[in-house]
Amino acid sequence: MLVRTRPSSEPNDAAVMDVVPVTSKISVQGLSKQFRDGKMSVTALDTCNLEVQAGEFICVVGPSGCGKTTLLRILAGLESPTEGSVNIQRSGAAHPLTSMIFQETSIFPWLNVRANVGYGLMLRGVPRAEIDPVVDKFLALMGLDRFEHAYPYQLSGGMKQRVSVARAFANDPEVLLMDEPFAALDEQTKVVLQEELLRIWAQSRKTVIFITHSIDEALVLSDRVLVMSGRPGHLKADLPVRFARPRAVYDLKGDPEYGRLSREIWHMLRDGVVKP
Amino acid sequence: MIEEDARGLHIVPDSTKRRSAFSRLLDQGWFMAIASPIILLLLWEALVRGGLLDPRFFPAPSSVIQSLLAMASGRELWVHAGYTVSRMLVGFVLGAIPGVLLGIVMGLSAPIRAFLQPAIASIYPIPKIALFPLVMLIFGLGEPSKWVIVAVAVFFQVLMSTLAGVVNIDRIYLDVAADFRASRWQAYRTIALPAALPYIFTGFQLGLGMSLIVVVIAENFGTEYGLGYVIWHSWQIFEVRDMYVSLILVALLGYLSQLGLARLERVLIPWRRPAKQAAS
Repeated sequence: MLVRTRPSSEPNDAAVMDVVPVTSKISVQGLSKQFRDGKMSVTALDTCNLEVQAGEFICVVGPSGCGKTTLLRILAGLESPTEGSVNIQRSGAAHPLTSMIFQETSIFPWLNVRANVGYGLMLRGVPRAEIDPVVDKFLALMGLDRFEHAYPYQLSGGMKQRVSVARAFANDPEVLLMDEPFAALDEQTKVVLQEELLRIWAQSRKTVIFITHSIDEALVLSDRVLVMSGRPGHLKADLPVRFARPRAVYDLKGDPEYGRLSREIWHMLRDGVVKP
Repeated sequence: MIEEDARGLHIVPDSTKRRSAFSRLLDQGWFMAIASPIILLLLWEALVRGGLLDPRFFPAPSSVIQSLLAMASGRELWVHAGYTVSRMLVGFVLGAIPGVLLGIVMGLSAPIRAFLQPAIASIYPIPKIALFPLVMLIFGLGEPSKWVIVAVAVFFQVLMSTLAGVVNIDRIYLDVAADFRASRWQAYRTIALPAALPYIFTGFQLGLGMSLIVVVIAENFGTEYGLGYVIWHSWQIFEVRDMYVSLILVALLGYLSQLGLARLERVLIPWRRPAKQAAS
């Protein structure tokens, strides 16, 4: 059963805290997922436990096929778990619980950039007069203001993912879920977008769970790296990343602590991959 | 033919300067496009005048044009054309709207698709005009039976195309809609409809072509109006030139309706990458 805390009808937040004394923003307990394929049953996730505090930027690294995406899709409510529970704390009824940024191009080809960014707000019936300033803000933050009337076919891959990031932030959710959003981009574009993501995140301090297979990306972005093992996926290690913010992606890579963490994670991942 | 200059660079010869005006004309798409029908008509005219073609069956193009001009200046021809156009339009709207709606519902709902697919798959291959006697039994000889038979023909084309469009929607877009907690109706309106729109337009094109075929045959029955009626009637009274005039108008009607639809498509689907010109 997926447990999601209901938006409280109580108007003040203090009362909500009385009812639900859990302090973690996200609490995942004993989460398992099996996929059935005919008579075969494949375990994608095996008893995952996870606590995330409000405002934390978490990266989950793991080899491909380790169930990272499955974990994220369960958090998003797009898949239901076989066992265990997910609990996401609400701060109020005004925000949607989660928004996802997908790996592949997921912006709608039939909407222009502006309409894509405002899509979530439009679905919730937010009046046009309130949508416009929010969309303007995120178009400007992601450097998309000159392209607001362009259709996706006119944009490069990097620009499309900017739209995707802006769309999720504009929706103003409690938690942002990102599934390798920059994996398909070239190295330079990726670094630029990582820095822009950090900048836009610094303004909102949303809770973020970011899936990646890149150790560099995890270290550059996160407050905490969770390492996942290969199939069946479970959380193997939990490493704090204490670099000061704001971070400059390339300067960080010269830090000795960076090298140490990078090596540590690599050895853990290699054990998972090499395992016969 | 590639030459090399003193520095060893390849030079592509500038052919336009040397070639004649005529051979440059041959490169123009529009020129070649109108050349073939003109040559054909000239050949036809010559064969009739030379006595090699029987003018009772193949009246000379010049005499057909004379008839066309004479009929076009009168009112009668336009009344006939008006009937045919209105039957096509009414039938098209009656068939296309339910075709789109049912196509989207079937595309998004596997149970409904499984329930309706066998019935539709078994009716679809029947040549729609073969249903016309049945339609006339039910709806009588008047206009409604003609609207209905056109609607039936259009409905199946549009339904099949819309269904294909919705079934082929990239899963990712439905995931995004689910992630944003779109309701079923919102998913129809904001995802399924726009994603399937290019396919729906293909269905419209096929349906419109089909509606012209069906209406021309149907106008042989229970009416004294319509271009189809003129064609059948002039066959009965052996007035071949009137038949040719009607055939020209039917062809023009088909061409113009497809042209109009292509215009509409450019307005309604502005997100489509502009297609490369086949001619260039």
